[in-house]
Amino acid sequence: MTIFAILVSKTIAFAIPLLLGALAGMFSERSGIINIALEGIMIIGSLFSALLLTRGIMDSPLGQEHPQLVVLLAIFVSAFVGGLFSLLLAYASIKLKANQVISGTALNIFAPAFATLLAYSVISIGISSIRFPRGIRITPEVLGIDMGDSPRWLSMMIFDNLYLTTPISILILIISFLVMYKTKFGLRLRACGEHPQAADSVGVKVIKMRYIGVFISGVLAGIGGFAFSLANGTMHKPDVLGYGFLALAVMIFGNWKPFKILFAAIFFSFFKTIAVFASTLEFIPKFNLNNVDNLYNILPYVLTLVVLAFASKKSRAPKAEGIPYDPGLR
Amino acid sequence: MQKAIKNIFSNLKSKFFGKKDSEYAFLASVISILVGFILAILVLFVLEFAKADSDYSKPLLGIKNFFTYSFNSTSAFAKIFYNAAPLMLTGLAVGFAFKAGLFNIGATGQYSIGAFFALIAAILWQYPWWAALIVAIVAGAIWGSIPGIFKAFFNINEVITSIMLNWAALYMIRLIFFNLKEINTIQSDRTNDLSLANPSAIIPDAGLGELFNTSFINMGIIIALLVAIIIYIVLEKTVFGYEIKACGLNRNASLYAGVKAKKTIIMTMLISGALSGLAGGIVYLAGTVQYTTEIRLLAMGFNGIPVALLAYSNPLGIILSSVFIGFLESSGTGFQGLYSTEMTGIIVSVIIYFSAFSLIVSILIKNTIKKAQEKLALIKVNATKEESESSKDFKEVEKEEVPDKKGDEV
Repeated sequence: MTIFAILVSKTIAFAIPLLLGALAGMFSERSGIINIALEGIMIIGSLFSALLLTRGIMDSPLGQEHPQLVVLLAIFVSAFVGGLFSLLLAYASIKLKANQVISGTALNIFAPAFATLLAYSVISIGISSIRFPRGIRITPEVLGIDMGDSPRWLSMMIFDNLYLTTPISILILIISFLVMYKTKFGLRLRACGEHPQAADSVGVKVIKMRYIGVFISGVLAGIGGFAFSLANGTMHKPDVLGYGFLALAVMIFGNWKPFKILFAAIFFSFFKTIAVFASTLEFIPKFNLNNVDNLYNILPYVLTLVVLAFASKKSRAPKAEGIPYDPGLR
Repeated sequence: MQKAIKNIFSNLKSKFFGKKDSEYAFLASVISILVGFILAILVLFVLEFAKADSDYSKPLLGIKNFFTYSFNSTSAFAKIFYNAAPLMLTGLAVGFAFKAGLFNIGATGQYSIGAFFALIAAILWQYPWWAALIVAIVAGAIWGSIPGIFKAFFNINEVITSIMLNWAALYMIRLIFFNLKEINTIQSDRTNDLSLANPSAIIPDAGLGELFNTSFINMGIIIALLVAIIIYIVLEKTVFGYEIKACGLNRNASLYAGVKAKKTIIMTMLISGALSGLAGGIVYLAGTVQYTTEIRLLAMGFNGIPVALLAYSNPLGIILSSVFIGFLESSGTGFQGLYSTEMTGIIVSVIIYFSAFSLIVSILIKNTIKKAQEKLALIKVNATKEESESSKDFKEVEKEEVPDKKGDEV
């Protein structure tokens, strides 16, 4: 039961960055801009929140008394920085009409170099790994619940990897769904991704909507980067280990829809967790292979390819994604 | 007054407006490189400023060492070309796909696959170097053709499939690596040293090593140069190359003209993958590095992207840009002693990665020039208006001209 509790707990912890990253991708792509730069934005978000958490504030009186407040602050910082960074993509792909994939890739290769440089010079992170302070986890004491009678595995399952990012992500998921499908704004955003010329003809400001779409995308991906480093526990280098790209896969697997994305995120995260524990747990099939974790790591990517190949007809990919808006085509 | 403006206008016109896209691209490349350099130098000074005991002679000395290092010894000079060979090939891989309108972001996966299978061929099967290189080419080509097939038959964006395949390649290599005990008998986290496992698999240096007095040079650069010229000929002088470019410029038009788009897409990705695979083979059959099992995508494949962008995907330009980036990587050693290895890597990567923005810079330049052009045209129109109003004799003729010009140039 303990093992089960650990698996569930880890799966949820690693599903959060994937969920946020994929929702980020959804907002951008639904407005018509392909956001390959998710990985880069996540790296930037994770870097700045880590800088905030590990330098100064956590040791200050405020950090000692209200660690959750500091975590909330870190979430806002990562969101803000992510949004700001994504504006580079927005400017290049909306204003300059540059190839969206290339400008995204440029940001992707720029972000780690920039992050390593900053981290190296500010907190010497390249030399030793940074461990997050212990107080940032949400424990039963923080919530004021007495877990006295319940079995140990239950508290392990819920609280072992519970951070403020988890409830906030669930909130973000619900809000994303409501915004996307129940508001005028969501309808307009989706219209910009499907047929911007038609949207423009009824008075929707396509350029503005796309800027907003990419900005929301940056905000969510920034928080996603922070959630990743929290789930990971330590930071050796400012890096999100390809979770930005995996989030793209989650988004495709989830067919660009919020709740399907949630299931896809949990599904993918489950494989990642299995891969982590593959060599130590008895009941996971090993097929007589050494380091079988690599096999489980391949699966999410291969499954995405299979889904892409067989469901390409049913795919709900936004029709106008990747095409700069040209009012002349109206 | 009018004449002066006209002169300035025509001067500027000949200076900027007559430019072709490739000239914009060259200007943009130079600007991005300069911005990268300036940023890196700024960073060095800012870091020095942040220290308690600031010593500004240190970054100055670092910059001087950086630019002189590669020309101080023959071995350092040779290393430029040693670095340039794989960069040229991955740059060609990315650039070749660009020509067909495809973005091969999967070059790094194909590069790793090529490298790893070349090592399997060399260590496990005891192939000589040329046979191992062929294995690398075939492996890279197969891996590269998958996104092409997905694109051709299912119309799925090659970027998405390539990204998935990059990570699949990484984990697949690890899986094979840990289950083939024969290739990592000496150290468990890296492949065996080629000089012990199979000396015949090391790419010969054709006398270059003796000439430059270093082991960091081999025939790789010659192979890469030959390949670059072949790719240039294919693109510029053959029907296949024409079809590729037609497909890249307008797929529907090329379909109408009878180009088999599916075949062209798959062939382009296959060749692009083969080039990346060859790059992997050349690096790991040099006998100077071993394949390690770190969980990260290899930077070489990604560095092909700035190489191609800097050269505007022109094969001959790629020769130059890869030598330039090879020079940066080699010169990074000049920093050492003054700065740590991490710092060196970071500074060099800042310069390299800034060049990835060259395409965006080129669009910026174009837009700025366009705006300047419009402004000048307006000034000119206004000037002619004033002139026509003052000289009544030519009033009617001038008036007819003005609206025409407005329509043309604004």
